[in-house]
Amino acid sequence: MGVMRIGHASLRVMDMDAAIRHYENVLGLKTTMKDKAGNVYLKCWDEWDKFSLILTPSDQAGLNHVAYKVEKDADLDALQKSVEAWGVKTTMLTEGTLPSTGRMLQFNLPSGHEMRLYAMKEYVGTDVGTTNPDPWPDGLKGAGAHWLDHLLLMCEMNPEAGINTVADNTRFMTEALDFFLTEQVLVGPDGNMQAASWMSRTTTPHDIAFVGGPRSGLHHIAFFLDSWHDVLKAADVMAKNKVRIDVAPTRHGITRGETIYFFDPSGNRNETFAGLGYLAQRDRPVTTWTEDMLGSGIFYHTGDLVASFTEVYT
Amino acid sequence: MSIFDTRPKFAVHVAQTDETFPCAGNESLLQGMVRLGRKGIPVGCVNGGCGVCKVRILDGNIRALGPISRAHVTAEEEAMGYTLACRVAPQTPVDLEVAGKLEKPFSKGRAESATASPIPQQQ
Repeated sequence: MGVMRIGHASLRVMDMDAAIRHYENVLGLKTTMKDKAGNVYLKCWDEWDKFSLILTPSDQAGLNHVAYKVEKDADLDALQKSVEAWGVKTTMLTEGTLPSTGRMLQFNLPSGHEMRLYAMKEYVGTDVGTTNPDPWPDGLKGAGAHWLDHLLLMCEMNPEAGINTVADNTRFMTEALDFFLTEQVLVGPDGNMQAASWMSRTTTPHDIAFVGGPRSGLHHIAFFLDSWHDVLKAADVMAKNKVRIDVAPTRHGITRGETIYFFDPSGNRNETFAGLGYLAQRDRPVTTWTEDMLGSGIFYHTGDLVASFTEVYT
Repeated sequence: MSIFDTRPKFAVHVAQTDETFPCAGNESLLQGMVRLGRKGIPVGCVNGGCGVCKVRILDGNIRALGPISRAHVTAEEEAMGYTLACRVAPQTPVDLEVAGKLEKPFSKGRAESATASPIPQQQ
């Protein structure tokens, strides 16, 4: 049945010890595995596959790749055909390219970001198990994030040169991977330039988002929390740990999410967010935000565009 | 000297505007620079990853506070004194020039309309 959900993100970090401390003590992930190359694999307590985050030692910050999990192994062959038919080259990476992970279909989005699809990852179970589970486990650290929820990619956009990889990605994800559009930002004198889009495969407002920028990069990876109170507590955890908060707790107009933005010790932006927003469905009409109300779309209460939020990314 | 910040400070001089700001030896050059109150100083990730606070150290000693991204400061540039202001603390008076995205808030047109005084203020 194709793509199910986000599977993992692979991030470059410049100080591995500081990165592990951050993702364990602030977000509440646990390290599940380390490999010989020095990569560290982590997961959230409510996830059942072996890892949802890979940290790679590097001399710079940013995203290596993002991976989505498909339901069946045969989906990889079908999606390889549809991606190639769309005009994007693919490579089938053999099982074991990533530890505890089956074969992966690898390709680049029109924006240049590397995406991978896989059907198999080692099952390890959630921290509460499957039989008469408690609603949450004891011993959670920090914000106690439930799962990696989505990510936002900054996509090269230069209208004068006719480049809009937000629109290209949106079309690609719709036509080749069968995602559906939930919300978009339309700008320009005629209000017809797609400068941002939010797309889903699940029933939540976004499993991936694209926003236009001068160069392609990673805007943030987001982790899910239950409630507004958990968002407040997460901010307390960040203050305790001297984490650089970019945007203090507030609400998005877009997706209705309750949110905090902050940076990991290498400058990769993270989000903790709560609220399922609304029931995202294929027949739900697409929400459009216009250029003049974009500030409210992003930060609903103040309606102010925060310069660092749109200009700073890795 | 502010009663809420009694730390000894080093004078940090910005070549482009001939401004000087005080900066403690245990804080980043960016933290000191932000106190200038100048509009538009880009404060990004503050962790050496995003590259918006690039400067070139012309004179003075600095101490590294953490790694900086090679995507924004190459090894050659680093050898020429370039670094990220969020990741270095002054150990002596420092003379620097702003670079990259920091150039705009320190450009001449901006400087004239900025609220910060070009004369070092008593802190």
